[in-house]
Amino acid sequence: MSYKLTLKEAQKLLDKLSLTYDIYAPKKLKAQGRYSDTDIIKYEKIKNIDEIEYREKSTYPMKEVISPIQQTIFYFTEDKYRESKVSTKPILVFSRACDINAIKVQTKIFIGNGGFVDYYYQRMYERIKFILMECDFESDTCFCVSMNANITNNYSLAVRFEDDGIHFEVKDKDFTNYFKGYPHSSFAPKFVMENKTKVHIPEIKDRNMLNKIKKSPMWKEYDKRCISCGACTIACSTCTCFLTRDLIYGDNSEVGERRRLSSSCQIDDFALVAGGGNYRTTAGDRMRYKVLHKFHDYKERFKDSHMCVGCGRCIERCPEYISITATVEKLNKEIERIEKEEASNV
Amino acid sequence: MNHDINIKECRINCFRESKVPGEFMLQMRVPGGMIDSKYLDLIQKISKTYGDGNFHFGTRQTFDICRIKYEDIDKVNKCIEDYIKEVEEGLCDVDMDLVAHEKVGRKVNTGYPTIGARNISACIGNYHCICGNINTFELARKIEPIIFPSHYHIKINISGCPNDCNKAHLCDFGIIGVSKLVYHKERCIGCGLCAKICESHATRVLSLNKETGKIDKDECCCVGCSECARHCPTSAWTRSEQKFYRVILGGRTGRQTPRTGKMFLNWASEETLLQVLGNWQKFSSWVMDYKPEYLHGGHLIDRAGYKKFKEIMLDGVHLNPECIVAEDIYFNEIEYRSNFNVKPLSKHKKAGPGA
Repeated sequence: MSYKLTLKEAQKLLDKLSLTYDIYAPKKLKAQGRYSDTDIIKYEKIKNIDEIEYREKSTYPMKEVISPIQQTIFYFTEDKYRESKVSTKPILVFSRACDINAIKVQTKIFIGNGGFVDYYYQRMYERIKFILMECDFESDTCFCVSMNANITNNYSLAVRFEDDGIHFEVKDKDFTNYFKGYPHSSFAPKFVMENKTKVHIPEIKDRNMLNKIKKSPMWKEYDKRCISCGACTIACSTCTCFLTRDLIYGDNSEVGERRRLSSSCQIDDFALVAGGGNYRTTAGDRMRYKVLHKFHDYKERFKDSHMCVGCGRCIERCPEYISITATVEKLNKEIERIEKEEASNV
Repeated sequence: MNHDINIKECRINCFRESKVPGEFMLQMRVPGGMIDSKYLDLIQKISKTYGDGNFHFGTRQTFDICRIKYEDIDKVNKCIEDYIKEVEEGLCDVDMDLVAHEKVGRKVNTGYPTIGARNISACIGNYHCICGNINTFELARKIEPIIFPSHYHIKINISGCPNDCNKAHLCDFGIIGVSKLVYHKERCIGCGLCAKICESHATRVLSLNKETGKIDKDECCCVGCSECARHCPTSAWTRSEQKFYRVILGGRTGRQTPRTGKMFLNWASEETLLQVLGNWQKFSSWVMDYKPEYLHGGHLIDRAGYKKFKEIMLDGVHLNPECIVAEDIYFNEIEYRSNFNVKPLSKHKKAGPGA
């Protein structure tokens, strides 16, 4: 069943929902962008309808609600420890289809991968319900259709924002009562069925080809172009890499807390190991690792999807104008070249 | 050629005499160096009709048109009347009827009334530049009505960031856009990129704390360039929404005593900055004993001494709480003319009433 609420009514609804739920949405933060007088949009807890930035793509992904950039996971004193506390309120998140689909990837890594459940992820994940935001903007950085991430039915409510009000579709019975008495609407969320930007996913047929790609000179381009800042992976809706750090309180090393912090495979010491070895010392190596991880390795292992939902945030955040879609197309050309070379050697 | 021309009047009218007898160069103001490109048609028309078809980018971002005959000056002034109206009155809200805030009754088609306050130059600033902290030409347009028209000389250079591409350090009153940086600790992943960048691009005030994995900052020596915010992958460093300004005082080039300017104000708000500049006419007229003669702004500061300068320039100004002011300034001249600074006191020019 669908309804149309005026903005005033939508605010009343939000007030009512806030009694039960913590509500998160993309919010515009003025002048906090990389460059002067530019804004960023990131997920924050909201109280008012007009805080929701629905006209543009958020700079940072929805995953931050579940896996914040920094979280304290437990506190310790000598041999005793206590988990950090989080709100027990369920969470409602205004989210787009790509971000909701990205949570499938996040969950695959955090819950079940290696036969292990990440408690700190799970306790957030279990509280979450989604409010699907219909996409009505055209961005040439979006390629969700190519990644099969444009459609989802994992949502409780769906919304379409209009100047004079908001359409709601109620899919989850838990929310039916909230909408009693509001006028019906014929709204059903539309999904993006075509993007301006299309990506052809590379076919890497065997290990031999993978090794040839690994040795390809194509990655050298990024030694010069990429500055290894890691902004692409922080903005990525599927990246899950993190590190932990113990923060010792004062001079007693027996008392402190353990934090989890987002990390990035693009930073130069990501592959640094004890003893000083570093497996990926150049920006090109790290770029290769990221691209193959997202467009080959993940699917090779988990079979269901690639580790990219085509949100295109990495493209928008890269200060060096490195486009992941252009990179994948370069990879396709390189595979073609290698195949031709192999054919002529036979 | 037998000419009887009042060269000084021509110069005040922004026509500078040429080495070629009877020829002049027009200098048209472009506050902040930014203007609608439609005016290039006008420049071309004047240059082709009255000049030799060329034009020069003035070193202070004026449109300079040479080879104008003295006899044509009136016609050229008629040509630029609309430009003056649209740019000075329209864009900058200048009252062309005032000179140093006093009514003079300017007649139409008479060109520029003064040359004293020079064109305010600016880099492109945050209108385009990835480093810029402020919109430089919008600031120039706000300052224009404060200093112009006036016979008192002042050179103002505006730079969008401490890289100072527009050389705020080499003019009377240099303005640099700076930012107060905000550190969102909870978004910092401890990658240390900001510290690396600060070390190579700025003043080495950031360091990665090995114990906490967070950034330590020496607040005192931060120049407010925002390179940390520009490079941070997580938006852990952001600029404050409010704009701040650094004022570099008394720099100059010149034959006798070129020198770099020194910091007068730091972290001034726009309101403070404009209030301070509002006292410039008062200061200049006091130093010159209300007789504007041709003397560079920096020399006025030298005559009065920094303490007197500060007293008059800060008179009635409400400083924003972040703003700090130089207690004293010790300029270092490169002494092209020997003994400039060691000549007897009796030979120094005096400032103030009766000077």
